[in-house]
Amino acid sequence: MSDDGCGAPRGGAAVPAGAAGSQAIVQGRVTQNGSAVPTGYARLLNSGGDFVAEVPLGEDGGFRFFAAPGTWRLRVLAPGGVRAERSVSADIGQVTELEVAV
Amino acid sequence: MSRSDVLVDADWVEAHHGDDGVVIVEVDEDTSAYDKGHIRDAVKIDWKADLQDPVRRDFVDKAGFEALLSARGIANDDTVVLYGGNNNWFAAYAYWYFRLYGHQNVKLLDGGRKKWELESREIVTDVPRRPATSYQAAEQDASIRAFRDEVLSAIGQRNLVDVRSPDEFAGRLLAPAHLPQEQAQRGGHIPTAKNVPWSKAAEEDGTFKSDDALRALYRDEAGLDFGRDTIAYCRIGERSAHTWFVLHELLGQQNVKNYDGSWTEYGSLVGVPIEVGDGK
Repeated sequence: MSDDGCGAPRGGAAVPAGAAGSQAIVQGRVTQNGSAVPTGYARLLNSGGDFVAEVPLGEDGGFRFFAAPGTWRLRVLAPGGVRAERSVSADIGQVTELEVAV
Repeated sequence: MSRSDVLVDADWVEAHHGDDGVVIVEVDEDTSAYDKGHIRDAVKIDWKADLQDPVRRDFVDKAGFEALLSARGIANDDTVVLYGGNNNWFAAYAYWYFRLYGHQNVKLLDGGRKKWELESREIVTDVPRRPATSYQAAEQDASIRAFRDEVLSAIGQRNLVDVRSPDEFAGRLLAPAHLPQEQAQRGGHIPTAKNVPWSKAAEEDGTFKSDDALRALYRDEAGLDFGRDTIAYCRIGERSAHTWFVLHELLGQQNVKNYDGSWTEYGSLVGVPIEVGDGK
């Protein structure tokens, strides 16, 4: 058991070695005109629109979630009132990749 | 206690960050964000390295807290304004912790680091030099911290508020969905607990909802009995510190405790009752 905190590192937590097969990973990158958006937030919402998790974007605009199997909404917030939203599905043993151009 | 006693906004911080008697403190688990840039004049507190005992699972003791605040140049009569990432979870935890050791004048920056960044306000890398102080802490205030035996005896007797996400509450996830789902403890929640995710108390920009909206959320929607004592918990006690702040500091509820052992302790105990499934 870990008593480490629950904080979300920038870009999302790394995938533990050998764990990918047991996780339902949703990850990707936020870009604007082809360049990474390094300041902003990715929020995972359930299909009802309720908040599930949030990570600050990494230097490369990246984000990663460890979801449960199902369909989710991904919402991006960035400075200047930028908002974007995508639908995404997740399943155990799969890595779902998406690039969000804002 | 009212909202203006315990919250400040970004304009206030921009106007007062350098004032004598005001100390801005960024608190987080991952302090690399501070190192890359922070609010001008802010000092940092590392949630793990500075606030947790390195050996036992507990807080730093009174002498350790005194040494920490003295080294950061924080005096007993300073106004301390806390902020951080993760929608102010760790800042709210530190707020509760400062209260636990008797610091009187402590506030949160509403919206924390997220709102500050989304508004493109100034971020600097200069680290302020503050002369050391001789901080004197009080003994821990047991009225705001719950331990496991008290939580067990509260089942069916007091309000128990589980502030984790619905999937963690139901037992489908063992940690927030930004973390790998590899944990030893069992999934589920404490019987009779109501699930009011911390996120329902916050707007998308990280600021707290209005008092009226918060009262409606806990009392009317979740059915909390405001005449009863309350214990809030999550996985390690920092999201529930956010809810403790809402119930105790913003809504003025008496007898609200944060159970910092939370699910990583409760879900590992032998023989205690656990419920699984969605909230009723």
